[in-house]
Amino acid sequence: MRTSAVAGLIFANSDDKLKELTANRSLASVPFGARYRVVDFALSNLVNTGVTSVGIITTENYRSLMDHVGNGIAWDLDRKNGGVYFIPPYYKRGVKRFADTISALVGAYDYIKKCGADYIVLYDSHIIANIDLSAALKAHKKREADVTVIYHNGKLPEKSAKKMILSLNDDERVNSITFSEGEYMASFGIGISIINKDLLLKLIRDAEDDGLTSFAREVIAEKTSELKIYGFEHSGYTAIMDNAATYYEASMDLLCKDIRAQLFDKTRPIFTKVRDGMPTRHGVNAKVSNCIIGDDCVIEGTVKNSILFRGVKIGKDAVVENCILMQETEIGNEAQVSNVIADKNVVVADGVIFKGTKEKLCFIDKKQIL
Amino acid sequence: MKSKKCVAMLLAGGQGSRLGVLTSKIAKPAVPYGGKYRIIDFPLSNCANSGIDTVGILTQYKPLELNDYVASGKPWDLNRTDGGVHILPPYHGQGGGNWYKGTANAIYQNLEFLERYNPEYVLILSGDHIYKMDYSDMLAEHIDSGADCTIAVLDVSLEEATRFGIMNTNPDGTIYEFEEKPKQPKSTLASMGIYIFKWEKLRYYLTEDEKNPDSSNDFGKNIIPMMLHDNQLLRVYRFNDYWKDVGTVESLWEANLDLLNPKINLNLADKNWKIYSKNTGIPPQYISENAVVENSLITDGCEIFGKVDYSVLFKNVTVEEGASVEYSLIMPGAVIKRGASVKYAIVAENAVVAEGAKVGNEPNATGDENWGIAVVGDNLTVGKNAIIGANKMITENVKEGEVI
Repeated sequence: MRTSAVAGLIFANSDDKLKELTANRSLASVPFGARYRVVDFALSNLVNTGVTSVGIITTENYRSLMDHVGNGIAWDLDRKNGGVYFIPPYYKRGVKRFADTISALVGAYDYIKKCGADYIVLYDSHIIANIDLSAALKAHKKREADVTVIYHNGKLPEKSAKKMILSLNDDERVNSITFSEGEYMASFGIGISIINKDLLLKLIRDAEDDGLTSFAREVIAEKTSELKIYGFEHSGYTAIMDNAATYYEASMDLLCKDIRAQLFDKTRPIFTKVRDGMPTRHGVNAKVSNCIIGDDCVIEGTVKNSILFRGVKIGKDAVVENCILMQETEIGNEAQVSNVIADKNVVVADGVIFKGTKEKLCFIDKKQIL
Repeated sequence: MKSKKCVAMLLAGGQGSRLGVLTSKIAKPAVPYGGKYRIIDFPLSNCANSGIDTVGILTQYKPLELNDYVASGKPWDLNRTDGGVHILPPYHGQGGGNWYKGTANAIYQNLEFLERYNPEYVLILSGDHIYKMDYSDMLAEHIDSGADCTIAVLDVSLEEATRFGIMNTNPDGTIYEFEEKPKQPKSTLASMGIYIFKWEKLRYYLTEDEKNPDSSNDFGKNIIPMMLHDNQLLRVYRFNDYWKDVGTVESLWEANLDLLNPKINLNLADKNWKIYSKNTGIPPQYISENAVVENSLITDGCEIFGKVDYSVLFKNVTVEEGASVEYSLIMPGAVIKRGASVKYAIVAENAVVAEGAKVGNEPNATGDENWGIAVVGDNLTVGKNAIIGANKMITENVKEGEVI
């Protein structure tokens, strides 16, 4: 049976500098927004476009990602035809283990060939956005493009890694591609592109033969005259999280009503693994203001301007400000924490005071006890 | 097909007419409970947690919502290749067909389903109660005692006993008499409507009961008395935990607010006995800068800008700035607009309480005996500045400024 004309290919370990949260997991499985993992946005955007086959390329520490995605049931990707297909590295004499995008694509070659789709969406996992990819796909077909790069027009993200800058014609045809960082207005690729399958397979074969390493820089950017490369603008909210500062900023963006409305557009829901916790309990003396909170929390203290993931417990008279507290973190009675990102299962004991500043956030590693 | 040790039959066809507008479009087991559940999540989760993987769900009254909700049984891990959930509505055969006449007749009409699995034991459940129970423990006791039928009972007060089916027992737990709502109870062991039968006995007595045209084909009224008459071995299984029939507006309201009462022993956070429900694709809750939320349960999809106290808010509820919700249940998707106030009330799914409207009242505000919980039906709008008093049940839209 023919599944869908489009398949997704997610890079779970995009080049990231979010070391504080990716020591034990891939970037794709970094917790985000009180109940999600970063990959939920990629998977949901693909599924909401009608994609029924998704390959996930992993390089290292992908156990938590596999646990989260499982057989894809939360995204309706538990299918006989298509579904989720993990592409972990494999040993082959002379092949580096997915050290770069070309070797990763070489690893995904068989999947791409057999997935039955005509178009492949290449998707870096570190993008937080709710994108209507079907509109991009329609444009891609109408223009008979070889490659369509999804871009955002705006100020380049501060403190972020080098971005793919597009120089565009009036009809969105890409003239040239450069890579740059800094803080200025530009049309920059956000790490999602649509490419015709046969072309992709050919480009992978050629790049492998030529010993290239970067698909974006050495293949796509070099072929702007040879290939019909178009841009497609995603004008809605876009966060690219490639380091701690951008992660924190994107998390706190959720406190803005307009951004929530864009990200959690009811017509294109973001799905995640179901956890079956009970609703969050706000205690008798709880004081919560300007917070995003997952289910299964018990709040007895004061919480301001923070993101609480599922199962967080805040003790009596505790004060939490400007924090991101991940799954099952416990803040003891009368403890005070501010400007802290606590990874899963952290325990801050009664009365402990632990404070970072807006400029210098404090990280607490998974399962630490303070 | 390999046979099953125990198959559960869940009676979910009841209307729950005393819930009024809350069950005008859905069957009672589909009524929302506890912020993110529906009543049927309790027996289904209990089955899943007790290792019972084959459940027939007998539907009759307004089954659409229930069918849609249960679907393949995925949220309860009951989407099994061998077994799983089966929705069993009344059907027509060659010789015609009938609605389910009573609880026993509903099972009788589905003997074919049971024969297919050919279990050793059949567990009969109803979809009307909030409780956590390990059916495997009851089954073990049933098997050990060699009883033909074991009935779960709850020790109630003498006063309450007049409202239940009461089991009169010998000291060893065997039942010698069953009395429906006795005026002078001899015992305080109330039937919870949970039975385990030996399959052969159940089949025999259901078939016998069908031969009697005067029978109301009911487990309590007919099957149990007939078995006692035949000197079959019937025993009680004592249950001592939280159990609540949510058959009335007051009891539904109370059972929800019980979740906020630390003295009440119903822990839904227990990781070893989770209550599963269907919830997907909803963002986390947001509590705004000026919101005041105390002693309440709030779940995914809620956006709170106003005041919420001692209440249970279901998914996707919005409470706008200056609005207040106290001692109330606000069901999925309902919106409480700016300046509106809701007290001692149930606002059903997707209802809208417009700006400045007031719904419900405190028990002591009126001082009259007719005080009760106000209810706004699903998908209705209470117009701006309208006032709805205590104990009112709203079944159609209320105009702006109207006083009811």
